[in-house]
Amino acid sequence: MLDQVLSSLSDGIVLGFVYGLAAMGLSLIWGVMTVINLAHGPVIALGMFGTYLFFTQAGMNPYLAILLVAVLGLLFGFVMYGVAVHRVLNAPHLSTLLATFAINMILIGIGTAVFSTSPHNVDFSMGSLDAGPITIPLTRLIAALGAVLVTVFLYSFLYFTRPGKAIRAVANNREAAELMGIPSAAVLALSFGLGTMLAAVAGGLIATFFPFTILSGGPYELKSFVICVLGGLGNPLGALLGGLILGGLEGLVPAFMPVSWVPVVEFGLFVLVLVVRPTGLFGAK
Amino acid sequence: MAFLEIRDLVSGYGEVQILWGASLSLEKGKLTTLVGSNGVGKTTLLRTVMGILKPWQGSVTFQGRDITRLSPHARANAGLVLVPEGRQLFTDMTVYENLEMGAFSRRAHAAMKANLDKVFTMFPRLAERQNQKAGSMSGGEQQMLAVARGLMAEPEILFIDELSLGLSPILALSLFESLGTLKELGITMLLVEQNVTMALAVSDYAYVLAEGKVHLEGPARELMKNDEIRRTYLGI
Repeated sequence: MLDQVLSSLSDGIVLGFVYGLAAMGLSLIWGVMTVINLAHGPVIALGMFGTYLFFTQAGMNPYLAILLVAVLGLLFGFVMYGVAVHRVLNAPHLSTLLATFAINMILIGIGTAVFSTSPHNVDFSMGSLDAGPITIPLTRLIAALGAVLVTVFLYSFLYFTRPGKAIRAVANNREAAELMGIPSAAVLALSFGLGTMLAAVAGGLIATFFPFTILSGGPYELKSFVICVLGGLGNPLGALLGGLILGGLEGLVPAFMPVSWVPVVEFGLFVLVLVVRPTGLFGAK
Repeated sequence: MAFLEIRDLVSGYGEVQILWGASLSLEKGKLTTLVGSNGVGKTTLLRTVMGILKPWQGSVTFQGRDITRLSPHARANAGLVLVPEGRQLFTDMTVYENLEMGAFSRRAHAAMKANLDKVFTMFPRLAERQNQKAGSMSGGEQQMLAVARGLMAEPEILFIDELSLGLSPILALSLFESLGTLKELGITMLLVEQNVTMALAVSDYAYVLAEGKVHLEGPARELMKNDEIRRTYLGI
């Protein structure tokens, strides 16, 4: 029994890092421009397919492919921001919700037409790490490590570089930032690009160990909402910790009750945190 | 040619027109004050000159260049800097980061070190609190930071909206004294101030705004003797 719990828990926690990474993208965009990006799920799926295409068509190493996917994700984010988000940014929240939902539907439609909805997978394995009852496939371990690296990168970017600080300044007070000579529209586009990049990278990492369809981003988008609430919106470290908590729960719950109870527990927690501590467990705002 | 020429400016919020053709000009190196009762459009004027509000009509010319259609950040890069009403600090960022953001434009960034020394000498309090979150400081300290952040931007023209609002008289006085220092540095300033006595005392020139237009103007010293000004704004 203990072995089983340990093995399931370690599985969950390792996955939790990637959940955290996916959530970070959602959290960044919300934190900077109070936009809930409903195209988050399909972007994760596009990250999966991007990695898949580079791997199968170009014979590229999946991790190299993910680097390329990151760059493409950033650029795609700029385009999405310019086309659909920027002009409705100052409109009521419903407009940005609808605009990003429209992108969501368009991406899913195109994805379905091009890739159908049958599962694809990146046929790639690196063996696994064994430690007593715990067995972790190396691809998952690397994904977890990648998530930590990206978090450190994002945190350093936001806190120690000029463009990063400009992002925080615009998030904090857009008008004042503009008055100080910060081109706020460009900074917002950059933030949206980074958020999209994080989602695409998370998707790419997931694709190295799970099969996927164009709809596979959906569950991660939902998890991202739960994680953002757990970790507090707009805080990269909070998102990572929230991801770990959620992953841990997903590991623990099935050891004690049927797997179908996992979402019930997750979203029960979601509501509980919203009621008791709406700023998130680690959120300051 | 005036340093900054504001001509027949018309603007407002949505359907509500606030400015009805205001014309002002600022001379280089001079301190000018804009006086007027609440709601006559002083803040609206500053916001329009900075480009936060789009002018409906009229023009703004800076050093002979028409800047009426420039975005606020482009104006900041050109050297027009506003210390806004209510401070508008980056409250979640540290004092140091606020100053750093003040020096964001390429022009100001080059002079950042020298300007940091300058503002820390002027406001030693800020040097002590460099790593504190701006939002956690007292009102007076926040006002100092707002002015200091404006100075970090290497202003050619500094617009200050309500320097003394909500401050103790002693603190207000010391901030007014620092305006003298800024003038010696050659910074052109336009001050919007509810404390008319103090403002006129330090200014070279003054405009009185009423109903969205310039109602009176003249050298500050002369306006202080004007009966209407004394009755309406100085309460004498």
